Amino acid sequence: MPPKRHIMGLFKSEDKVVSAINALKQSSYQFIRVNTPIPSHKIMDALQLKSSWVGWFTLCGGILGFIGGFALAIFTATRWNLIVSGKPIIAIIPFVVVGFEVTILGSVFGNVLGLLTQTRLPSFRWLRYYDPRCSGEHFGVLAACEIEKEDGLKDFFQKQGAEVRVFESIKENSQL
Amino acid sequence: MTENDTKTMEIDKSKTSWVFFVLVVIGVAAFVFGLTSGHPERAWQAYLINFLLWSAIAQGAVLFSAVMHMTNARWSGPLSGLSESFVAFFPISYILFLVLFLGRAYIFPWLHEDLHGKEVWLNIPFLFTRDCIGLLILYIFGFGYLFNALQLKFDPNQPRGKLRQSIFEAWKRNHRKPEDIKRRMTVWGGLYILAFALVLSLIGFDLVMSMDPHWISTLFGAYHFVKAFFIGLGALIILAAIIRIRRGEASGIKANHFHDIGKLFFGFCLLWADFFYVQLMVIYYGNIPEETHYVIVRTMLAPWNKLAWIVFLVCFVGPFFILLNKSIKTKPILMVVICTVVIVGIWFEHLLLLGPALNHGAQTIPLSISDGLISLGFLGLMVIAIGYFLHEFPEITLRTKEA
Repeated sequence: MPPKRHIMGLFKSEDKVVSAINALKQSSYQFIRVNTPIPSHKIMDALQLKSSWVGWFTLCGGILGFIGGFALAIFTATRWNLIVSGKPIIAIIPFVVVGFEVTILGSVFGNVLGLLTQTRLPSFRWLRYYDPRCSGEHFGVLAACEIEKEDGLKDFFQKQGAEVRVFESIKENSQL
Repeated sequence: MTENDTKTMEIDKSKTSWVFFVLVVIGVAAFVFGLTSGHPERAWQAYLINFLLWSAIAQGAVLFSAVMHMTNARWSGPLSGLSESFVAFFPISYILFLVLFLGRAYIFPWLHEDLHGKEVWLNIPFLFTRDCIGLLILYIFGFGYLFNALQLKFDPNQPRGKLRQSIFEAWKRNHRKPEDIKRRMTVWGGLYILAFALVLSLIGFDLVMSMDPHWISTLFGAYHFVKAFFIGLGALIILAAIIRIRRGEASGIKANHFHDIGKLFFGFCLLWADFFYVQLMVIYYGNIPEETHYVIVRTMLAPWNKLAWIVFLVCFVGPFFILLNKSIKTKPILMVVICTVVIVGIWFEHLLLLGPALNHGAQTIPLSISDGLISLGFLGLMVIAIGYFLHEFPEITLRTKEA
């Protein structure tokens, strides 16, 4: 694979980022990613990302937690078989508390697990083409092109109203 | 938003409006027929359930706007203004409460019982006096909040009726700045929220819990007003969805609005169920006969146990699993169906709470066609009130100028 040049357009306006994303997708340049200092529905809509699987991890964690919570309460109660105030050994109403709490716990664990696996964390590769201003007041749109098309991509970002930053080439198959 | 856009928001007196007048006539006829038949207590039972349900819907929906303003929320957009239209039902609700006095002999089973000292609180003059005053205060705060909230959205170019003209003249006399109006909204809104919690607790204690005068639950008041907000949100979603379906993009109500209020509705579905559970839990562990009999009759003994399961499935289990899905929350038609089912479920929940006390020894659930017809009459009243308000103030769904 020929080496590629990675160029970031740094924007101050959210709307210009959306416009740049849409224009990039129409162009021959390779769109890589957006770094944004704030969550943005407009940018998320423009990116048209596939729906995340993290929610399914959370749901599965919750269901397992629900079953596990009740199972834990029933198991511990049947180890002693103590009748308290005439209540049954396996008493569903109070076990709801344990079931509920472990449902939340399972959901949280499922969510974190989903987040780690779906975003492939821990990873530091994203730092290679990153501008620290994207944690401040700038939005960064990262794109790649062949080295001979570098001027064209820079010109493209400038026309979109961005400040341009060119990164040194790094030999790797960039799955960023 | 242009004048044309605001005109598209108008719910005009369309050909279908007469249907709701017919529903009111049918409801009144069913109620009168019930009174003159052999079982006037059944008619009053349906009347009480519907009074509680529809009043709670209006009170809860208006609370939405007050809460949005007090929390400085921006996400609600036109929904906030739309919720203020439910104020139009307040005068009707108040009159309906006064009418309830006529049925006191049928709706308060404790009237001729030995109350063991509770007579100080549970007597008709004191009960009606405090509830009348409570509802009056709540509704005055609601109107005070609306009077100021409307001012921020008012469009003087809209054609004026007498009501609009008189309100507009009052505003011109006061001549307040927007900042001053917002401050006044904060005061009226805060008072409304406080009164909502206190007055609905009082109504819950007096008109629902007192039916079984020897049973007490200190959390019952909170359970009652959380339920009111829950169904108020449901009714607001239905209204927003109908306007969205009829007016499309011009309504200004977007999928994001439905998603956000759907999440709030889902949250209050959980909170309502939680408030039921925490009462149940305490009663379960306490295991005191005078407390447990209330739950046993309603959840374990026929015929009420079937109704309890229906309420549990329709108002909690169903909405819980359905509303987990994001996409469903953004679909107006589906939300209309879900919210309607929940409101009908809460109607049955009122029957479950009141029914055993008003129908001792019932072998079957006391339901008949006249209950449905009386309910339709109340629905007609609600739709006519809101329709009138939106006709008078079509700009109410505009985003407030503070947003």
